[in-house]
Amino acid sequence: MKNCRYYRQDWLAYWLGELDSNRQKMMAEHLARCQRCQNELNEIKDVIGRTEDWKSELGKTMADIDWDRLQVAITDNVFRQKESQSAAGTAATLKHRHWQPALAGLVAGLLLGMFFSYLLLRPERWPESASRGNSKVNLPAGFVQRVDLALAQRETLDYLERSQYLLLELLQAKSPDEASAFLTQDRIQKLLTEKKYLNNQLEEVKLAKAKMLCDQIEMLFLELIQLSPEMSETELRSLREIIEGRQLLLKINLVKKELQTSEV
Amino acid sequence: MELENADHGQSDPEFLVAKIKNGDKEAFMKLVGLYQQKIFVLTYSMVHEREDALDLVQETFLRLYEKINTYRSGENFNAWLMKIARNICLDFIRRQKARKKESLDQLSPERLDLADTDQDPAHFNPGELISRAVVGLPAKQQAVFILHHYQELKYEEIAKELKISIGTVKSLHYKAVRKLRKLLARQLGGEA
Repeated sequence: MKNCRYYRQDWLAYWLGELDSNRQKMMAEHLARCQRCQNELNEIKDVIGRTEDWKSELGKTMADIDWDRLQVAITDNVFRQKESQSAAGTAATLKHRHWQPALAGLVAGLLLGMFFSYLLLRPERWPESASRGNSKVNLPAGFVQRVDLALAQRETLDYLERSQYLLLELLQAKSPDEASAFLTQDRIQKLLTEKKYLNNQLEEVKLAKAKMLCDQIEMLFLELIQLSPEMSETELRSLREIIEGRQLLLKINLVKKELQTSEV
Repeated sequence: MELENADHGQSDPEFLVAKIKNGDKEAFMKLVGLYQQKIFVLTYSMVHEREDALDLVQETFLRLYEKINTYRSGENFNAWLMKIARNICLDFIRRQKARKKESLDQLSPERLDLADTDQDPAHFNPGELISRAVVGLPAKQQAVFILHHYQELKYEEIAKELKISIGTVKSLHYKAVRKLRKLLARQLGGEA
């Protein structure tokens, strides 16, 4: 029939009684005279019939279940699991808490350390703040003095040693020419410049003996630099007399020893 | 009237969910009582084993409790819960299939015929055949079919439940039956 398509989708609803009465009646009239739609409905009935079989089996299965007991069992089980989970969560939190005292101790130690460091090294405690030369770095005055002294000692020693070599060479020179060869103007000038730089340090730190000796050596070098590049026999002899007369080499050795043992 | 309202409130899933969110055990038990049979119908129709179906009911409620805070007031609670149950069943079926495949891989070829009898339609009772075919339906058709045949809801109630029109329910149901007919015919070699 041409209009079967109009009915086809509703055969299931018809069988289940889900249509309104007019539509139900119209469907019944069509069914009575349409073999094709009867076949369609029979196939639907077969599927639904199997469902009914299943439903009856399901009904039997469900009748055997103690639903009240299941209700309690499910609830208890869910809440027990929830409690064990929250207990596990608490245990994890407590585990973290084991670290907390150690962490607190560490932080407290750091803070205390910082506090005592501040007390010991705070700028007000430094009698002469090491803001010398407009330096923004504040250092304890004693520390700066010790550094200055060590530097002055080292540089004085260096100056004395080089002066000593020069004087020794002067004393050991076999001729004025040989003496002139190593007593170059440059070498003497360098020693004089070094002495000028050393003067500031010797004045600031208490190196009185060393200062006096260095002054004497300086005087000698000043005389030496005024000599002509080609030294005469007389000049060489005169220089040797000064060195020996003033016992410069001996004094240098003594001061060096004192400087090396830091007893200056 | 007041008593009626109070009782209605006690059975209202929205009311119970709000209490469960605050850790109310009694409200949870009440909700279990309201929905356990509905969920069993779904799980049993999907897995066909009583004990498995009961385990899945329990798993559904456990999942519900875990996800209770994701439920938004005004949402269709029944549909939300059935979706949870259906997903749990599908996970279970997938796991079972994987396990079966694994055990079949370990079997010798001569034992495969024996193992395959589990899947042989001839070993199913008539009701179980349709139940197994229902699992293969598209989600919406399956939902309409189960709600109508296993939970015995009328078209109007299904429409309300799934928030679709009655016409759509009718159409989905018809399509589901036609598809089942085809699936059964395939399974029984044209018998259905």
